[in-house]
Amino acid sequence: MTRLVLEGLSVVLAGRRVLEPVDLTVAPGECVGLIGPNGAGKSTLMRAALGLLAAEGRSSLTTLPRRERARRAAWLPQAREIAWGMCVEEIVALGRTPHRLPGAPLSAADRDAVTHAMAATDVTAFAARDATRLSGGEQARVLLARALAQEAPILLADEPVAGLDPAHQIAAMEVFAAHAGAGGLVVTALHDLGLAARWCTRLLLLDAGRIVADGPPAAVLTQERLATVYGIEAHIAEAGDGLIVQPLTRVAAREITEGAA
Amino acid sequence: MAYRRLIAGLTALVIVLFGASLLIGPAAIGLGESLAALLGLSGSAEATILVMQEIRLPRAILGLTIGASLGLSGAALQGYLRNPLAEPGLIGVSASAALGAVLAIYTGLSAAFPLALPLSALAGAVVAVMLLLALAGRGADTLTLILAGVALSALAGALTSLALNLSPNPFAALEIVFWLLGALTDRSMLHVVLAVPFMAVGWLLLAGLGRGLDALALGEEAAASLGVRLDWLRLAVVLGTAASVGAATAVAGAIGFVGLVVPHLLRPLVGGRPSRLLLASALGGAAMLLAADIAVRIVTPGQELKLGVLTALVGAPFFLWLILNRRRSLA
Repeated sequence: MTRLVLEGLSVVLAGRRVLEPVDLTVAPGECVGLIGPNGAGKSTLMRAALGLLAAEGRSSLTTLPRRERARRAAWLPQAREIAWGMCVEEIVALGRTPHRLPGAPLSAADRDAVTHAMAATDVTAFAARDATRLSGGEQARVLLARALAQEAPILLADEPVAGLDPAHQIAAMEVFAAHAGAGGLVVTALHDLGLAARWCTRLLLLDAGRIVADGPPAAVLTQERLATVYGIEAHIAEAGDGLIVQPLTRVAAREITEGAA
Repeated sequence: MAYRRLIAGLTALVIVLFGASLLIGPAAIGLGESLAALLGLSGSAEATILVMQEIRLPRAILGLTIGASLGLSGAALQGYLRNPLAEPGLIGVSASAALGAVLAIYTGLSAAFPLALPLSALAGAVVAVMLLLALAGRGADTLTLILAGVALSALAGALTSLALNLSPNPFAALEIVFWLLGALTDRSMLHVVLAVPFMAVGWLLLAGLGRGLDALALGEEAAASLGVRLDWLRLAVVLGTAASVGAATAVAGAIGFVGLVVPHLLRPLVGGRPSRLLLASALGGAAMLLAADIAVRIVTPGQELKLGVLTALVGAPFFLWLILNRRRSLA
């Protein structure tokens, strides 16, 4: 059982506290959507949890040795970088790095992991192609496959569906749901509230460096919160198989204060 | 497997060129005679033994090892910085080693004993590394490293110009200019013994970086999350490049373009993977420098063209051709 436990995790960058102390436990089987406006601290929270940023407090990942941590948690950064003209299969195989000794060839288990990961994100068709020549959305799927090939129980992803077409956005969310369903846990930053509402088992709403709401999508995504945190009005409806959230208009700041008064 | 064939082909090329480097020179010596003299077999003329063992052998060894150093460190730096424009001179160590050599000539120290010049150049390289680590050591990012390297190169270049400017007589100035052009002529076994151990340390540091450089293709954050220690990686790249290229510059002067062009040329042939480029580029660099050093002996036998001049003369247009070719393939 691999849980992600954060205790009093906080981050100060250039004298400014960008993440207030966070206490959080994510259990296996959970697919957690991290939502909030730009600059709310979503990426900072995940990077601090992974030990990629100097942080105060404790994360269950940062206490592990590097290699063990890399086997325990995979990280899909927001910046989608692929240098050099390596082929898709080799890029995906980089996810096996923490499982291999330096210089060792890919084992049968490594090959299986790469094959499954490529199938899961629908990139098998261009396995042999130069990854730098693919479209942005295709590259995003290749990099998601790389993270999946790592076969880590904990998967953290920063805006993994941005730039994907609707079918592949849903496919990516299905991959996360399946990962959680298979006993792993997922924490993913999302801007698409509709996808977050529909696919996540739990949402964390961040605003100005603190968690302002934590719970199942229907409990977190309320008209009041969307108005105060995002300044938007949305259509929220309960469908048979999940919540539907469609942002409609911006709420002017004046109206919010009037509404409160 | 394409990679194995490439490595086998490059290795064969290096062996052939190394042999050719031993056999080609102003003194016309037959093949059998050369080999006998090289091995010091009895019956060889003393002069022939001298030519083979004291002139051609060190020259061939230096061509091989310096070429390999330039190719390997070029590939490692490009991989680390994820920038195809990186070359071994970027971190400022070659310019500083050159400054050390120039100071030895300027002060007349180089005439005092045979190894004064390369030792002074090595000292220049060591000072450069210490400055570089102080400027861009712990916790610094890639950009800081590049900027520190550029600043060091500029400073060393300025001081070199100053030495030229103030040089006591035109002969010293000429000697400085000629040394700066880079060459392998008249190097002895002493130079080999002095430079090769440093280069070997550099190779060891750089050769182990493949895995980290591969992961870096995904960016620094992704590489760190895959378990790569970026601080160690940076230190190994800097020290490895400094040791191998610093020693190379100390005995041969600044030889440009090999460290830039060779990784470029070979990258498509290894499928872009930085770890595979390391060995391929080391062999390719050795082959290119050996070939260039043979060419300077053949093209202008009377007054030998300086090696650094030839590599730039051939390297720059070739680089342009590579760029044009790439543009065409992208269009």
